[in-house]
Amino acid sequence: MTKKNSDQLFTDLLRNDRIGEPSKAIEDRLMYSFLLKNSSQKLKQNSFASFFGWLFSVQGLGLKTGLVSVILFVSVMNNQINIESGSISCTDTIFTKRVLLADSTSFVQSIDSLRTDSLN
Amino acid sequence: MQQIVSGDHAAFSELYYRYKDRMYYYFYRMLRNSSELANDFLQELFMKLIEKPESYNPNYSFQTWLFSVANNMCKNEYRRSEVRKEYLTSEALKPKLDYISETPVEPEQLLEKVFQTLTLLGEEHRSAFLLRYREGFSIKEVAEILELPEGTVKSRLYYAKKMLAEKLEYLKDQIEL
Repeated sequence: MTKKNSDQLFTDLLRNDRIGEPSKAIEDRLMYSFLLKNSSQKLKQNSFASFFGWLFSVQGLGLKTGLVSVILFVSVMNNQINIESGSISCTDTIFTKRVLLADSTSFVQSIDSLRTDSLN
Repeated sequence: MQQIVSGDHAAFSELYYRYKDRMYYYFYRMLRNSSELANDFLQELFMKLIEKPESYNPNYSFQTWLFSVANNMCKNEYRRSEVRKEYLTSEALKPKLDYISETPVEPEQLLEKVFQTLTLLGEEHRSAFLLRYREGFSIKEVAEILELPEGTVKSRLYYAKKMLAEKLEYLKDQIEL
């Protein structure tokens, strides 16, 4: 009698082993859990709660300080530029003083004074 | 897996259908042929996938990773049941293995005797045996799943086959170890 390879024998034996199927209720529970998890994830994505939570927490203080500094710097510089752009600072005189107006780095227009009565 | 992470229901459903029977069989045979435990563990395994899909390492084959998680779950169950066993009489839990079959038996009976022998050998031999002969994993893959050296896997398989041949006398003349 020819001997059979043991690997083949056990492979054939185990592959033909039938024990039934898992319960259908498990599949239903898993599909429901998957949908539930993903719906809660989508709700989270649309919420600002985590952002505000981070904003008012002590986490990332360095970053937050830096951001505030940049915002302050930009707003202060912006106000200074507006003052220097030659707005009328005083209307109860016939003259308005203007400072140097820098339109660009290569063009500087100097206006010492301007008669406002020409407007009338 | 990326589709599952992004919430693709169809991808999850396909994955479940592809692996449910294999994983159910593995749990059933690893957990003392209990369909109740096999169902519970199957659910727990896929719940892990739903809750923490990011735990999958894409550097590994998905099925290798899935069986590795399943095997760790079985190991934890053995540890828990070892604690419970202390309160019971050990004799009642030991599989009866007083047979030595000298004549050929039906495949169903043979399977029953094979698993009785594997139960006696322990879960580490049973897992290697199932992964190799039922699932068709290579020795390298079995070693990866069980987190063992390849030599250990080979030795466990050889020992299991030797024990089976001893218990099933008639197989000695039919198979080459």
